[in-house]
Amino acid sequence: MRIWRIVLLALGGLRRTPLRVGLTALGVAIASSALVSMVAFALGIQQQAETPFRTLGLVNVIRVMPRKDKGPGQGPALDDAALARMEALAGVEAAFPDFRVRGLKIAHGDKSESVLAIGLPRDVPLPGTAEELLVAGEYFTPGTRPEAILGRQAARDLGFGAPRDAIGSTIRLETSGLSPGDAKTFTFERKDLEATVVGVYDLPNLMAGRMGGAVLLPVDLMRQIPGIGSGFALDRLMLGQDPTKAGYSEATVRVRRHTDVAPVDRAIQAMGFRTRTLLSRLEEMRTFFVFMDVLLAAVGTVALVVAGLGIINTLLISVLERYQEIGICKAIGASDGDLIVLFLTEAGTIGLVGGLGGLALGRAVCWLLEAAVNAYARTHGVTAHLDVFAFPLWLLAATVLFSAGISVLAGVLPALRAARVDPIQALRRE
Amino acid sequence: MKPAESHDAFIETRGLSREYRVGPSVVRALDALDLEVPRGELFAVLGVSGSGKSTLLHLLGGLDTPTAGSVLVNGRDLATLTSYERTVYRRTMVGFVFQSYYLVPSLTAEENVALALTFQGTFGDARRRRADEALRRVGLEHRARHRPGQLSGGEQQRVALARAIVHTPPLLLADEPTGNLDRATAQEVTSLLQQIHRDLGTTVVLVTHDQEMASRVADRIVHLRDGRLAEAAAEAAEQATPARGTSPDAGGSPGAVGP
Repeated sequence: MRIWRIVLLALGGLRRTPLRVGLTALGVAIASSALVSMVAFALGIQQQAETPFRTLGLVNVIRVMPRKDKGPGQGPALDDAALARMEALAGVEAAFPDFRVRGLKIAHGDKSESVLAIGLPRDVPLPGTAEELLVAGEYFTPGTRPEAILGRQAARDLGFGAPRDAIGSTIRLETSGLSPGDAKTFTFERKDLEATVVGVYDLPNLMAGRMGGAVLLPVDLMRQIPGIGSGFALDRLMLGQDPTKAGYSEATVRVRRHTDVAPVDRAIQAMGFRTRTLLSRLEEMRTFFVFMDVLLAAVGTVALVVAGLGIINTLLISVLERYQEIGICKAIGASDGDLIVLFLTEAGTIGLVGGLGGLALGRAVCWLLEAAVNAYARTHGVTAHLDVFAFPLWLLAATVLFSAGISVLAGVLPALRAARVDPIQALRRE
Repeated sequence: MKPAESHDAFIETRGLSREYRVGPSVVRALDALDLEVPRGELFAVLGVSGSGKSTLLHLLGGLDTPTAGSVLVNGRDLATLTSYERTVYRRTMVGFVFQSYYLVPSLTAEENVALALTFQGTFGDARRRRADEALRRVGLEHRARHRPGQLSGGEQQRVALARAIVHTPPLLLADEPTGNLDRATAQEVTSLLQQIHRDLGTTVVLVTHDQEMASRVADRIVHLRDGRLAEAAAEAAEQATPARGTSPDAGGSPGAVGP
């Protein structure tokens, strides 16, 4: 209660010199707007960079390959038995051969196109938020029905106007390959497969690349492609080993949580395979962003410290101007502590008002910059909206608190000056 | 009510001395002063500027500490109090009135009066009620919303008087309260002071150089010269060298003693 009255008194004190207090608060506002927008920029860029990882669930993925250092066929084969053992590890959601076929010819009616075909397991849902990438239809259904999910570009190439037009239609997959017949013979085989289109996906610009024109097929359907999964067969043949037991050249193991990555990774390596994870890449990237955050926050802090000097200045002048008033307050019973509270409150109020003003200012500046960046991006053919700045709630709260905190700190010197005023000096007759 | 209590010394100073160091020399503002003020007395201290009367008031009000001797108010030696205890003493026991009013210019009359209550921890309705009551006592309830700049000198001093008594302190210290006022207004303020003294039973120490005013209102008057009571000063002057004896009352040399 007592403190509250003194706070009111402080606010009254600030009202007396509105221009000076206003300018000081503006300084704080500009500094905190610089701070908030720079950190928001770092966070926004980080978010842009991490989106593909999160959307495609790449963080939870371990790529598995046979060991090469011992030469082909020296380590254990990456076959279905090995994949089954991996799938049995704790935390593993799915383990499947990584089938990728470049230049697979797909056709519908009289239209055809060579695309990249990627195999995905149909029994486990899409990782991350990848489900949202489907612009029409659904993900694969369980069972063995031959199904396909087309990239938007591929759908367009096959003559489907809108994505949903493709759903339910049957496309032809013209495949061919060399498959090991026995220990000595490879057979070239052509095989036409059919698949029902169940979905169409689209990738945001930043992830697009070649994937936009791909076709996703269930792993079980891709197994029917001749020669698939015998990447090392020729090598083994040359070494006089059974080429039919070559195994896959690469497999994917998906874990449930990113914390499962490290233990599963170790377990797979212990089985004698090579692995590669994106988690380490992501962590490297994050380290970089932490540096960037700290650097930009430091620049913003410098601005805020300069604004803090403004507060010190303003309040020191105020102490001088109110020298007599401070003396009278002491004579009628204000303690040193009361005066310290009074001036710290004045400083804190300037900081709080400045901090809130800084948020508004920073938000406005970022909004303008973002509009400019997007306008520029559009002239370069980027259709999606780019979120250059990120304003999480914690950043807003932290900026205001930080600004108020630095301001209170700046108030310490004037407050001590006020507390040290000698009432006898102050009340000496003029 | 006073005669019965007149032997109850509310204020007592013993050998009270206050020296200031000004450059290489030491200025003795108060020199071994012995005083007794009974509870409820209106006590006037007369003296020219530099006689040490303001210093006495500062010591009585706990704004200053003596270099020697003691000040007892209500039996407590102010010299033994900590800085915070002296603040609490000022807050609860003392009301100050100054020559230049010292109102806070940005606050209204009512807010100025209530300011004293703020530091005493009185809030809400009680705060406003007591401020209004104090303003009524000085006849300024109709000026409650005015700022000092909108008030005459006499009105400002009455607001200052209201501020000094709003927490009904047992001791009121007035330092030349009429020094800035014309004769008629001064008369008004003095009667008000007298009335408050009578109505509230407040012990008043009035410091002034206005002999006429002092003799009109005070229960008792002492003369201060060179930091001593005038009688004591006269004795000292007789014993001292002639040159020393002619120096008092000379405005700027308040009983200076060589280093």
